[in-house]
Amino acid sequence: MKILIVEDEPALRESIEEYFSEGGNICEIAPDYLTALSKVNLYRYDCILLDISLPGGNGIDILKNLKNNEHADGVLIISAKNSLDDRLEGLDLGADDYLTKPFHMSELKSRVMAIVRRKTFNGSNLLTFNEIKIDLMAKEVKVGRKQVKLTPKEYALLLYFIANKGKVVSKNAIAEHLWGDRIDIADNLNFIYSHIKNLRKKIVEAGSGDYIHGAYGMGYKFSG
Amino acid sequence: MKLLTRYNRVNLITIITILSITGFAYYQSISWVLIRQSDKDLKDEEMEIVEYIGYNHHLPQTFESKYQQIIFTKVAPGSVKRQFVDTVYFKKWDINNPKREKYHREGEYDPGRGLITDVTVGNVYYKVLIIQSTAETEDLIRIIFSITVGVVLLLVIALIVTNRLILNKLWQPFYTIITELQNFTISDNKKISQLKTSIDEFRDMNRVVTDMTEKAKTDYKTLKSFTENASHELLTPIAVINSKLDSLIQTDNFNEVQSKLLNDLYSGVSRLNRLNQSLLLLVKIENGLLKDQQKIDLRELIEEMLMQFEEIFQAKELQVDTDMGDKQIIASTYLVEILLSNLITNAIRHNYEGGKISIRLSNEKLEIKNTGGPDALQSEKIFTRFHKSSGSEGSGLGLTISRQICENFNFSLTYHFDQPYHVFTVGFPGGPQAI
Repeated sequence: MKILIVEDEPALRESIEEYFSEGGNICEIAPDYLTALSKVNLYRYDCILLDISLPGGNGIDILKNLKNNEHADGVLIISAKNSLDDRLEGLDLGADDYLTKPFHMSELKSRVMAIVRRKTFNGSNLLTFNEIKIDLMAKEVKVGRKQVKLTPKEYALLLYFIANKGKVVSKNAIAEHLWGDRIDIADNLNFIYSHIKNLRKKIVEAGSGDYIHGAYGMGYKFSG
Repeated sequence: MKLLTRYNRVNLITIITILSITGFAYYQSISWVLIRQSDKDLKDEEMEIVEYIGYNHHLPQTFESKYQQIIFTKVAPGSVKRQFVDTVYFKKWDINNPKREKYHREGEYDPGRGLITDVTVGNVYYKVLIIQSTAETEDLIRIIFSITVGVVLLLVIALIVTNRLILNKLWQPFYTIITELQNFTISDNKKISQLKTSIDEFRDMNRVVTDMTEKAKTDYKTLKSFTENASHELLTPIAVINSKLDSLIQTDNFNEVQSKLLNDLYSGVSRLNRLNQSLLLLVKIENGLLKDQQKIDLRELIEEMLMQFEEIFQAKELQVDTDMGDKQIIASTYLVEILLSNLITNAIRHNYEGGKISIRLSNEKLEIKNTGGPDALQSEKIFTRFHKSSGSEGSGLGLTISRQICENFNFSLTYHFDQPYHVFTVGFPGGPQAI
């Protein structure tokens, strides 16, 4: 998977690069408008992480440039501006998703994975992790041949874990992913625990390996 | 007290006082002059009598003029002391004066001035009483008094009329400015209008008020944009901390102490972020930047939201019961979601395990009740910024935002305590009459 990170804040850029650079992914970076523009005109990426406010220009113009040249790269806008208009403008211009700063790395990863899946599998939409098979269209999960009945939240949780496999995902990130950041009930994140427990129980009972591990009380890790 | 009333009062008191003093002074000086005059007349008469007796050695014939009477009385020698006295003057009416018929009397008493003196004719000692009528003096004084009173009345009437007609009109610009100031809101764009007046003071006042309100508006805008900019600038560092934390937890195995620290860091950053988002949201609502409006099926929206919260209800073993009728409103979905989410979140956060939440929706109002603390909250304070109950993990902005959202759509948001429930009520405008 080849990714371009267009972001002017070095610390944030490095974190993203680090988070994405494992497992055979290639990350390129563009700290400003002109670098980003030349890169998108020269190379193709599976997904471009695009900051809107950039030194030397506006990320929206890069998006316009991509669409004018009919490049099919996935585009995820990451912006500090949480305004409805910006979001709508970005999506209208053909961005695949829009994420507001600040965000969790695991959230970014799961969004990028979703975009890349949509682009690459082109509708066939079958996601496999060892013996777990997920039909993204029908939202069905099978372990081997056995169907597993998951609630919508458990399903979302499983996808989230698979997108972030091998990574420790914090409880905060999970809560925000499942309930959105507007529901700021996260004073006490223990209620997540029962969800994880249920999901784990269901897939293990269907014959899968036990992939979900607690990580020092602050999060969970999905690894095979 | 109105300025006009006050002004009138002072004016009237001054005028009446001064005119009374003037009247009194007139009265005193005129009566002094007149009494001196009549005393002189009396002395002349006395002299005439003395002279007459000196030549003729007998008393003059007592005669009566229109204004003088002279009476001689035999008395013991040396018993009379010469002096002027105020006395009465018996005025005889003419034979054909109609008053004689009317009162069956020969005359009437007028105020008079008298001189008591003595003469000796031969060796007979007489007391002489010369009386002069002072009726004219009294008349004069009466006239002066009437004129004074008349002038006072005239002035009072003139003052009242002038004030009513002219001052009211003169002060009109002042009242206009007051009304403008009353209607002034710092957040809207309406300006204080320019007054058309030729009075310098009012022109100055209008100018000062205009400048002042403009300055207040500019300051307010500066403050708002400061809040907005500050919150925006905070987003990037928060994003950096967040991402670094996410990277940090990937690095290695942590012991329990370290994980506890990391957990605290996560929740701190998460709170910081929510607080910041709330501030941004408040500014946006206040700036009227979220103006989009749709038709919202409130019941449907609440049901969706309750589903979202289901796990949390379960975790806290909260019993939720609903009684919802159909209600449609025109508002921004985004904001109404935030409003509902804030209210429900509060009902959960301030509840105890195994508590109750009850939601009622009717055409007039939405009522969200929850069990919680045993005491009523201070209903006005809770809507102010950063007011938090002790131990609350919230941002302290939730209810401020909720109220701001309600005001935005002309809903009311009120709190009351109905043992054991804390009740928040969103009142919709118009109520049943609207439909």
